[in-house]
Amino acid sequence: MQSCWKKILLLGVFAGVPAAASINAEMEGMEVDSRDDGTFLVGGPTYFFDRMLGAGGVHSESELWSPEKLRYRLLFNRFSVLPSWDPMEPSVWLKTGNELGDMIYQDFITSKNRPDNRTPILEGGFRSPSFKGFWATARMFQDDHFSSKTRSVRHKKVDDEFSLFGENYPMFSSGYAGLGFTNASVNASALVGEEYLWLFGESSRWIPVHYKPRVETRVDVANLSATVVYEDAEYQDKREKERGNRKEWNGSVRYRCGKACHSSVFGVAAGLAFRAVSDSGTVYTELEGNRVAWPFIELNVRPVKRVKAEAVFGMNDDDWLVQDSIEYQAPTPDRMGAVIGVKNISGTRLNPLADDVEFFDGSEIALSAAGQMNLIQSYVSFADSIQFAGIGGRVSLWAEHGAETFDTTETVRDEDLVYRKGDVARINSWIKGVTGELWIGAWYREMFSFKALGGFEHLEGAEDEIEVTPAEFFVSFSADWLLFKSFRISHSLRYRSDAEWNLRSSDPLMVKGDWFWDATFEQMFPKQRLYLAGTLLHVLGNESIETPNGSRNRMRFVCTVRKMF
Amino acid sequence: MKKLLLALVLGLCSAALAQSPTDSSFSHIYVSVEGGEQYPFGDLVDAVENSFYGGFGFRYTYTENIDGFVLMDYSYIKPIPRGLKIYGAHQVSGKLGLDFKWKAIAPLAIGAGFVCDWVRGDYDDDKIDETSFNKDLGGTLTDNETEFGWFARVNLPLIRRETYRVGFNALWKELWTLPKRSEMLSMGVYFERRIW
Repeated sequence: MQSCWKKILLLGVFAGVPAAASINAEMEGMEVDSRDDGTFLVGGPTYFFDRMLGAGGVHSESELWSPEKLRYRLLFNRFSVLPSWDPMEPSVWLKTGNELGDMIYQDFITSKNRPDNRTPILEGGFRSPSFKGFWATARMFQDDHFSSKTRSVRHKKVDDEFSLFGENYPMFSSGYAGLGFTNASVNASALVGEEYLWLFGESSRWIPVHYKPRVETRVDVANLSATVVYEDAEYQDKREKERGNRKEWNGSVRYRCGKACHSSVFGVAAGLAFRAVSDSGTVYTELEGNRVAWPFIELNVRPVKRVKAEAVFGMNDDDWLVQDSIEYQAPTPDRMGAVIGVKNISGTRLNPLADDVEFFDGSEIALSAAGQMNLIQSYVSFADSIQFAGIGGRVSLWAEHGAETFDTTETVRDEDLVYRKGDVARINSWIKGVTGELWIGAWYREMFSFKALGGFEHLEGAEDEIEVTPAEFFVSFSADWLLFKSFRISHSLRYRSDAEWNLRSSDPLMVKGDWFWDATFEQMFPKQRLYLAGTLLHVLGNESIETPNGSRNRMRFVCTVRKMF
Repeated sequence: MKKLLLALVLGLCSAALAQSPTDSSFSHIYVSVEGGEQYPFGDLVDAVENSFYGGFGFRYTYTENIDGFVLMDYSYIKPIPRGLKIYGAHQVSGKLGLDFKWKAIAPLAIGAGFVCDWVRGDYDDDKIDETSFNKDLGGTLTDNETEFGWFARVNLPLIRRETYRVGFNALWKELWTLPKRSEMLSMGVYFERRIW
């Protein structure tokens, strides 16, 4: 554990703040809800704003394309882990939970100010042990949390419950089954299923999409990865008597830089991502030309041992995007690390694979802007450790010109929800920021580890043109306990300062700063490979609305039982 | 009292930290049946009557001094306010917890864990409109409702033999309901059989 912590601390030097406590997310992709090392605002499982304090620039991380997201889901113009079709490890599992606060017996004595109904989370699935390399899997999962506030508007748009199970109109409901093959050099899978999704548009409306079917195939052979997805998507708005269909093929192929490549002076990797669609009827977005291809190349250069340069460059007929960095690892004693680096992101569009136009209320919303953005950031990181404790920090300066934003020209009300018209645009002036983060860690063998983090950021520039004015500071205290080598308690107490949505309504939406506490309790039976976990999420904090047209982020409890094979 | 609690916590921690689970996990498994009565506490005394419950349990060794257990029981709970269209509520309560067998108070074991209650009202479908009734007292229970919470219990074996035991359970639970938390105390007798 000591060496593990040392690695984590030193990794922090290169990658940013070390990872938070091991709080179980309610579902893969929802980890952001337990993070406050920046601005993480959750409107629901299918829409959130996620920006690390030290990331630089004003964009949300999920808006930015990168090769690591090739197998993420494209939800409108954001990349999302959720709903994840990554096959699980061989196991059988069951998950359930609820937003806490149903009345139950209080219902018999509560006649005034009756609380809203709370909604659950449900999941079950298996992946079989492999038989001569072959395995089978099936999974049904849906997250009804964050669904109640917008339910009254959403249920009028669709002609059934829009889920595989229940009547809560969950933000997503997904089920798949399939087969796979895994051996030392090949990992392949083919999954087919059905899925209901509510996408969040640039107009701020919720768009229902029903995939029937969705098919995803993957093959990994050595350093080569390929993915092909077929989606038959139905769109509808019952109120407007509109229906449409999109048949889409998308996927990618990528040759990764392997171990030998990474250790050499010069490494090259490359790939291609693509989408092709065929629309009929009323579909609420358009991909110009009905297809997009995105070839990219990844380079890493290590001319001397202490200097590392990395670059990712992609380009097609319409867009280009480059993300690069150069780092110098300063000579330090063994238990220390220090890095000086410069990072750059430039391009015509953060997400070159997204659709180009959204159709809303008789108008067109351009989802890309003319011109280009340039972000440059310089940073210094350090970490030091002694036998049972460590300390680290990171400071950075950044400046961005041409940042992607939205030019709101009009807002439209729909019951409690507010939509907007306009176009994706640019902030054609420099926005500058300075960030600082400090962390302290302590640990005792495998039994205990503690971490305290703090960070601040100051922005200068046209803040009222930024989609989200990020939080200025955060503090976080987290700890992991491993009692009698098999009972885990992980928890974190955090504070995030105010953040503000500026462009999705006529008056900005202020998300007040607050304290939050999350905790996971897990009974582990390593010999039997059985795991029973209960997680409390969003305790202490006010049940506030964190994104425009989102639902309240409520206290939740989720429990999982998993038997690994 | 504080010293007693502190001593208890320290004792449990020291006992816990000294164990190695891999040696003891599932070395013994027990199944049980249990019956008793549950009593509302706090605001709930105005909401529901005392009720009987019956169920079954599963207990397993986790470490030398800690057992894990799963309990499942059913009860039919009647509301106190009169004139409601709901006659009562079916409750299925599931519990997952740990029993700490501290030597100083043996054979008494002290346990705690999480509880999940599923509740559905008992009513005549043809006498209510589920859409509008949702706003009346008891109305949310026309749908399946679940709520989580936590519990603490004391487990006192009264008769102990090699393959079975008879004992008494007193369990206090708090459901995380709104507008206020819901608290109940249940007291029951169990018969437990060792499987291995």
